[in-house]
Amino acid sequence: MKVSKSRKLFLVLNALFMLLVCLAIAVPIWMVVITSFSTNEVAAAEGFVFIPKGFDLGSYQAVFSSSGYMGAFLRSIGVTIAATALSMALTTTMAYALAQRDLVFRNFFMNAVLLTMVVDGGIIPFYMVIRQMGMIDTYAALIIPMAITTYNLILMRNFFASLPESLMESARLDGCSELGILCRIVLPISVPILAAILLFYAVGHWNRYFEVIMFINSSKKYTLQVLLRQLIFQSEGEGTFSVQVNNFKMAVMVITMLPILALYPFIQKYFISGLMLGSVKG
Amino acid sequence: MPSKTALTQPKGGTHKSRWQLFLKRFSKQKYIFMLVIPGVIWFILFKYYPLRFIVNAFTNYGTVAKPRFTGLANFQRLFLSPNFWRAFRNTLILSFYNLVFYFPVPIILALSLNELKNQFAKKAAQFVIYIPHFLSWVVVGGLFNMMLAPSDGIINKALVSMGTISEPIYFMASIKWFRTVLVGTEVWKSAGYGAVIYIAAISSIDTQLYDAAAVDGAGYWAKTWHVTLPGIRNTIATVLLLTLSRVMQMFEQILVMYNSAVMDVSDVLRTFSYVEGLNRGNVGYATAIGLFTSIVSVLLILGCNLFSKKVLDEQII
Repeated sequence: MKVSKSRKLFLVLNALFMLLVCLAIAVPIWMVVITSFSTNEVAAAEGFVFIPKGFDLGSYQAVFSSSGYMGAFLRSIGVTIAATALSMALTTTMAYALAQRDLVFRNFFMNAVLLTMVVDGGIIPFYMVIRQMGMIDTYAALIIPMAITTYNLILMRNFFASLPESLMESARLDGCSELGILCRIVLPISVPILAAILLFYAVGHWNRYFEVIMFINSSKKYTLQVLLRQLIFQSEGEGTFSVQVNNFKMAVMVITMLPILALYPFIQKYFISGLMLGSVKG
Repeated sequence: MPSKTALTQPKGGTHKSRWQLFLKRFSKQKYIFMLVIPGVIWFILFKYYPLRFIVNAFTNYGTVAKPRFTGLANFQRLFLSPNFWRAFRNTLILSFYNLVFYFPVPIILALSLNELKNQFAKKAAQFVIYIPHFLSWVVVGGLFNMMLAPSDGIINKALVSMGTISEPIYFMASIKWFRTVLVGTEVWKSAGYGAVIYIAAISSIDTQLYDAAAVDGAGYWAKTWHVTLPGIRNTIATVLLLTLSRVMQMFEQILVMYNSAVMDVSDVLRTFSYVEGLNRGNVGYATAIGLFTSIVSVLLILGCNLFSKKVLDEQII
């Protein structure tokens, strides 16, 4: 088919549009990174730096030597790892069991799980439960109550349900135990979906903000997200001078984004395939 | 309960033999059943047990030493409170803005990506546009707070140097601008990821339809209008209904970004409930706000689901 002139023009304009969209996303992130590596003078003069002028690790030294930010960074990592591990353990086992066609009360369990996506007691009753369990101001409150995301559970369950039954049957005939089947047969062939769900959970736990300020009272236990929010919004919001120069703020922001950006190539690789695999009707 | 065991058994077995069958089935799968127990306990503790505390909505819990049952007093107070109506109005207005200004963007992005003929450019663009979804609201809010800052933010600097405005605008504290900022950040953060579902829908359209349209002399726009858009119509409708059903849940973005100067245009129901309950300690009252929000939310979800079943012939939940 002949490509008309107007069609060519459209394709060029379309490519330009997409380029603009990508720039709108990349430029702010780029500026944050560049500003964080700028010297105090450049950052103070320009606020936000677009073209790198000099290279300075001073702001990172300042962040890493401040026990407050460093502690928050380590706490965030610890909470994220613990919470992700618990999330995966609970989600995988429950999803696998719910994927068994023969499971007793299976439909009852499935409906009870699905119902939680609609019925929600609200923030305050949730808080009351955590308080009654004595978890206020403990890291447990950031790990245990957040362990399962219903959506992730259903994605994984749908994937397990789509696996051929004959695979498990033959292992059963060979005398393999149920846990053995899960660990030796099901999990190895489920790596893409496991990776996708693991990354979803890790991102969710790392990015957690409101549950932290809701459940944690002592600032010594705050995670990095809370400290970043305080650093950026509370100094601007009060209408006073920002105490910190931008390069310091930006260094904290880069450190807050770092795990996400480092994991992003894997996220990008697995999340779409994960979404597609999980949406197969079981 | 449709299950293989039940189907292979003759119907009308005696009560006893059914019970025995159940026990046999259960003992066969007791190890699998053990796997489901931890998750079930988790759901009971953190999803169902909290519902018990909804009764607080009918007490004056939090404000007095000995809370007592006060009937519908909290709701009466709620419906007479201008702050409640402000939060309700803001929830609706912000959702409406998101619907008008955010909702079409992922569709446009997906159509545009589909027209990128260079495979490398397409991959690269997809790589970039999903990034913001995975950043936290604190990071995204912080990013925009810095860019929109009145003293050294690039937006103000650019606008002032171009002569569009004479005085820098304090976007984050301006009643006039704050809603625009909220919708803008929502578009920045979520539109790329929102396009994923449309990209999948477009790629599943039968290519023969395009060929057939070409034979009929359809140009690009005709193909988009008559093949692509009808092909993703159900997806668009489903996403629209899902968006509508989540109107009441707007929360974390606002909790991160708002401040006392823009309360009037951005306090929504869930932030209102949060502040009343946890910062002011009016637990009973805040539970009532939450309960009201949940009820409206459930009605919205059920309504959207019913509509979806009737019109699209598929359920969204």
